[in-house]
Amino acid sequence: MSRSSPSLSRREWLTLSAAGVVGYSVSGWLENLAAAAAKSPDRKRACILLWMAGGPSQMDTFDLKPGHANGGPYKEIATSVPGMKISEHLPKLAAHAKDMVLVRSMNTKEADHGRATYFLRTGRVPGGPIQYPPLGSFVSKELEHPDAELPGFVSIAPFRFLNTAAYSPGFLGPRYAPLIVGENANGFRPQQAEGDVAQALRVQDIDLPSDVNAKRSEARLQMLEEMEQEFLAQHSSIAAESHRTAYRRAVTMMRSSAVKAFNLDEEPPKLRDAYGRNLFGQGCLLARRLVERGVPFIEITLDGWDTHQQNFEQVKRLSSTLDPAWATLMTDLKDRGLLDSTLIVWMGEFGRTPRINGTGRDHWAAGWSTVLSGGGIKGGQVIGKTSADGTAIEDRKVEVADLLGTICLALGLDPRKQNQSNVGRPIRLVEPTAKPITEVVA
Amino acid sequence: MVPFRFLLILGGSLLVGSGVRAATPDKVVSALTATIDRHLAAAWEANKVQPAPPAGDAEFLRRVYLDLAGRIPSVAEARAFFDDKRPDKRQRLVEQLLEGPRYVTHFTNVWRSLLLPEAMSNFQTSFLAPGFESWLRAKLQQNTPYDAMVREIVTLPMDGQGRNPYAQMNGGPTPIAFYVAKDLKAENLAAAVSRLFLGVKIECAQCHNHPFAAWRRDQFWSFAAFFAGLQRQVNGDFVAANGERADRRELTIPGSERVVQAAFLDGIQPKWKYNTSARVTLAEWMTRRDNPYFARAAVNRLWGYFFGSGIIDPVDEMAGGEHEASHPALLDDLARQFAEHNFDLKLLIRAFTASRAYQLSSLATHKSQDDPRQFARMPLRGLSAEQLFDSIAQATGYREEPIPNPRFFGNPTTRSRFLTQFANASDKPTEVQTSILQALSLMNGPLTDLRYSETLQALVDAPFMDNTERIETIFLATLSRKPTPRELANMVGYLEKDGVSADKENYHRALADLFWVLLNSGEFFLNH
Repeated sequence: MSRSSPSLSRREWLTLSAAGVVGYSVSGWLENLAAAAAKSPDRKRACILLWMAGGPSQMDTFDLKPGHANGGPYKEIATSVPGMKISEHLPKLAAHAKDMVLVRSMNTKEADHGRATYFLRTGRVPGGPIQYPPLGSFVSKELEHPDAELPGFVSIAPFRFLNTAAYSPGFLGPRYAPLIVGENANGFRPQQAEGDVAQALRVQDIDLPSDVNAKRSEARLQMLEEMEQEFLAQHSSIAAESHRTAYRRAVTMMRSSAVKAFNLDEEPPKLRDAYGRNLFGQGCLLARRLVERGVPFIEITLDGWDTHQQNFEQVKRLSSTLDPAWATLMTDLKDRGLLDSTLIVWMGEFGRTPRINGTGRDHWAAGWSTVLSGGGIKGGQVIGKTSADGTAIEDRKVEVADLLGTICLALGLDPRKQNQSNVGRPIRLVEPTAKPITEVVA
Repeated sequence: MVPFRFLLILGGSLLVGSGVRAATPDKVVSALTATIDRHLAAAWEANKVQPAPPAGDAEFLRRVYLDLAGRIPSVAEARAFFDDKRPDKRQRLVEQLLEGPRYVTHFTNVWRSLLLPEAMSNFQTSFLAPGFESWLRAKLQQNTPYDAMVREIVTLPMDGQGRNPYAQMNGGPTPIAFYVAKDLKAENLAAAVSRLFLGVKIECAQCHNHPFAAWRRDQFWSFAAFFAGLQRQVNGDFVAANGERADRRELTIPGSERVVQAAFLDGIQPKWKYNTSARVTLAEWMTRRDNPYFARAAVNRLWGYFFGSGIIDPVDEMAGGEHEASHPALLDDLARQFAEHNFDLKLLIRAFTASRAYQLSSLATHKSQDDPRQFARMPLRGLSAEQLFDSIAQATGYREEPIPNPRFFGNPTTRSRFLTQFANASDKPTEVQTSILQALSLMNGPLTDLRYSETLQALVDAPFMDNTERIETIFLATLSRKPTPRELANMVGYLEKDGVSADKENYHRALADLFWVLLNSGEFFLNH
């Protein structure tokens, strides 16, 4: 070839590898490296985030004050851990208390939905020039297998409306963008037929159009590959490489066995009933299937917690969705020997006011609850304490960075690890001022 | 040639009468083009750079349509251009595109992405985006000088914006969204105004002295003080402008007791006017012809748009000592001419597109072209979501009902979903990244489901075309070029094998396969 083939400059290679493009093998369309990788003996940890969009009321879930005027109508129930009491509307979870750590002293100061969503998900306050990645992106980057068929970060039924930047991979680039399922064209919850939401949870556009069979698809992709090789031989560019890599990963996913994870009809109906025949419940079941296939980070959103009105009716309803889904998830993972290596985090962007305002509670960031459960933690503990009326933290304030640092440690990660940011400054996974709650890390 | 120029001058003088700016004279454009060519050539000589070969008609055609009209040309437009034998046809094409309606549509998208990135991520801003776009469209339609446009934004009166945020949402054309998107906070507005209009990324100095550049924390807050008079009112999750205190020229640095006075970035103390908003004083300083930042920032940013990177890159970080200009004298010349000729954006566009560098191929033929700072080869640039969608729709004949606010979540159309999914405004154009979901959407999504493509149907039905002509047409429709002999042979072979052509449905499918390949190619996906 008389033309000199263009090469990417050193700076471009660095940019590409920082964005995770270069690690990918370059020998062809049909290789199936994942089969070998999946059988690896040292199975890495996984994280499931149960994201409660809107700000769940701590006073009506995990930090009740039944004696006080602020307490509201709910009763407390005992759990399998003496002294740890939770809402009467979470009875199935109560049996799993030994595998749960309640953090009752979250202290975060951001009470605006958009800002707080970003803050809790990325560990940093929004507003500066740096585009921080959310927990799912930076954790999956550490835990993913480089040749995995599925992306390492899956987001089920997210409610991105409040802050889309908190759902984008930020400076880590599109390789660490969440694969989103369960969102319709509006960006909202899909309107689902009563009962079966399996269709809503499939990957958008994963299937060939109905009139294109595998043979035609193969022919198309073959011709496309020839065109791409010709084009890339004469044009060098990050944008072109990224395009080609995305296509390869997409095709790999389309043809993978791992993508069958999204076929919930393979599961026994009784189990599907136990999780709850709704988007959140089935989403939790999907999460278990993804964990089985080595996906390191899955988040499932349950939204509706912004209860400025009708707080008690709404929280009861939400609890009746949350309780069976989360409890069944724990049991299901345990039955498959996966609970020890799977951390399940429960949190929203803030809590709700201890004082009842009319029929509801408003935003409250000065003393609220999150929960860590499953593997990597020493369950059965309560961290922090709020006052009798719920308005002040009496013991052990926990900042966002402390919580995210704890999550990193529970997953076997070093929170001080650095990534290259979009402004050329290296950024640690978690703010260096973090004080993780080491006593709960296994 | 003469009649065209005559029309231009005649048209120009008519426009002056109606309050619209006349086009900058041709000879100014030519002189500026020559300046660009001269500076770049000198650097090529000095650095022993071998520029890429000149772009052929096909390369130029597609590039200039995407850059000026925001979509690829149609088959008819491509054929007309190739058949045109006039020596100045490229210049004429530029004029035609600049006067066309797509220039306004496209650059409304370009400026909106730049000035209002929050429209994608903040729901209140997405409500207000249509009003902002209406305002932008009007400015672009009138070819409002750039300094006037910026002054309108910076000095926007806050009275009469209303206490009711919903009234703002239903209002007519107004750039109020710019303020609302920054939460009406002084520090956010200062950071945005400085970065966008002055090319100075001072926001790192918000919390501490800038780690690399010379900006200090006091300078940031002194600049922010120009916006300290703005009053905001919060209604639940919405923020609204609630007037402005015209006498506010100072603010207290948050978290401290220090009070700073408003000062320009070059440290100069402003001359205040009685009962006049500080922002008016700021805007006057910013848009003065001799302001050291304003014209340079605009020129540099627009250069970055057409050439893939700025003369100083990143285009947001021009001052402070970190990054150097690749051609400092060129930047100075361009900035001076831009300021002297009423900050006419079209002057810059005309000069850039006529330059030798803009008309270089993107084919890599020599290692010395690899340095982007030499502009010795046209780099590959990603398309914006709007450009990509509009190009696919153009190629396949896709149509759907337009809606007033495609970006707002509540209005689902194929286009709005596509725009959300392919939003990439924060990426540098030469470094645009593609995600798996985007690739799936392009491969299997509704836009490339060619069963319904009108273009394809028309091709299959046309009795006067043979296989060669049909393949040529799909190439022109997507890549705006004719196929190479090898490409043609391969594709004709695909259509002619195994009795495909005997059955009309099979033939349709086979042609659809070929069309699909072109639509999913990197060559289609990128601007090159």
